[in-house]
Amino acid sequence: MFSLRALTLTMVLAGLATTAAGDVPRPEVKAYKGETCVEETGFMRRNHMELILHQRDETMHRGIRTTKHSLKECIECHADPQTRSVLGENGFCQSCHSYAAVSIDCFSCHTPKAREQSAAVEKRP
Amino acid sequence: MSLAVVYAVLFYVAAVIFLGGLAWKISSYARTPAPLKIPTTPAPTTRFGVVARMVREVTVFESLFKSNKWIWLFGWIFHFALVLVLLRHFRYFQEPVWFWVDLIQPFGKYAGFAMVAGLLGLWARRVVVDRVRYISSPSDHLMLALLVAIGGTGLLMKYVAHTDIVALKAYMLGLLRFSIQPLPADPVLLIHLALVATLMLIFPISKLLHAPGVFFSPTRNQIDNPREIRHAQGWTAQIRHDA
Repeated sequence: MFSLRALTLTMVLAGLATTAAGDVPRPEVKAYKGETCVEETGFMRRNHMELILHQRDETMHRGIRTTKHSLKECIECHADPQTRSVLGENGFCQSCHSYAAVSIDCFSCHTPKAREQSAAVEKRP
Repeated sequence: MSLAVVYAVLFYVAAVIFLGGLAWKISSYARTPAPLKIPTTPAPTTRFGVVARMVREVTVFESLFKSNKWIWLFGWIFHFALVLVLLRHFRYFQEPVWFWVDLIQPFGKYAGFAMVAGLLGLWARRVVVDRVRYISSPSDHLMLALLVAIGGTGLLMKYVAHTDIVALKAYMLGLLRFSIQPLPADPVLLIHLALVATLMLIFPISKLLHAPGVFFSPTRNQIDNPREIRHAQGWTAQIRHDA
């Protein structure tokens, strides 16, 4: 009867737990620009790395430059307006990546910063 | 009931049975007397020597190496990889993640392949070697199948059908805080978790008890000093020498 009692106990515990939604640590995820992402959110959470790597192969190996899945465009929407970056403690990329202990290779070569204000770009001759 | 609640109940029950069952078994091992002095010779003659031999036994599987190189090779690869894989999974249960858990992530990733390769080697032996096949029971195959399936679904998630690991971690942290969070409903993840719960449930009644059991093995944990100190436990302690 040990397991039956344990089962009842855990059912009660589970019941209590659902009612008192506790303070479970979660990364902060904010998108600053745009209504929706280039793909559905659930898909992006699971497969964004595949898209970015596929885009790299298309661009670097085959010379096909599109913007839909480009890293630059990711950063444009997701960079924090304060820091202009997707890195930093609450940065869009870094918050989840450090939460899940996954290293990010992108930014050892690419910049994590969004473009300067467009006025600055226009000033160029 | 939602999926998250079903799995939460499953894991709470599995955790209680795993920990309770393991404590029960270990205490029964500890209470069982070893009536005879039977260390496998040549055996250490000091306590330090016994500890050193036990450390070699559980880290590099010394006696297995001496008896069979093939089993040792596959067995050791599997166990070492399993350690790395388990340590890599620590990231789902702690926030912030310890720095060395972060550090071993890539090693744990490749250890997943080594683990499954080791298991397949051990399984092949049970099928290919006649005399081993003859003494293999269904439970031997079941444990291998279960571990291969757990490793296989893990690798599938890492390399083929990804899941939302951030949501998964929030779910696991939630379980530790008795607060049920949403569970990503990816089939491979659900299979992986169900198999792990199954493993936890049958661990205390399975051959996998060799993990705690090795420490209680009289042939491994006794000092070779029968002439210096009289060994008497259990029924040997009840023998009357004055009669």
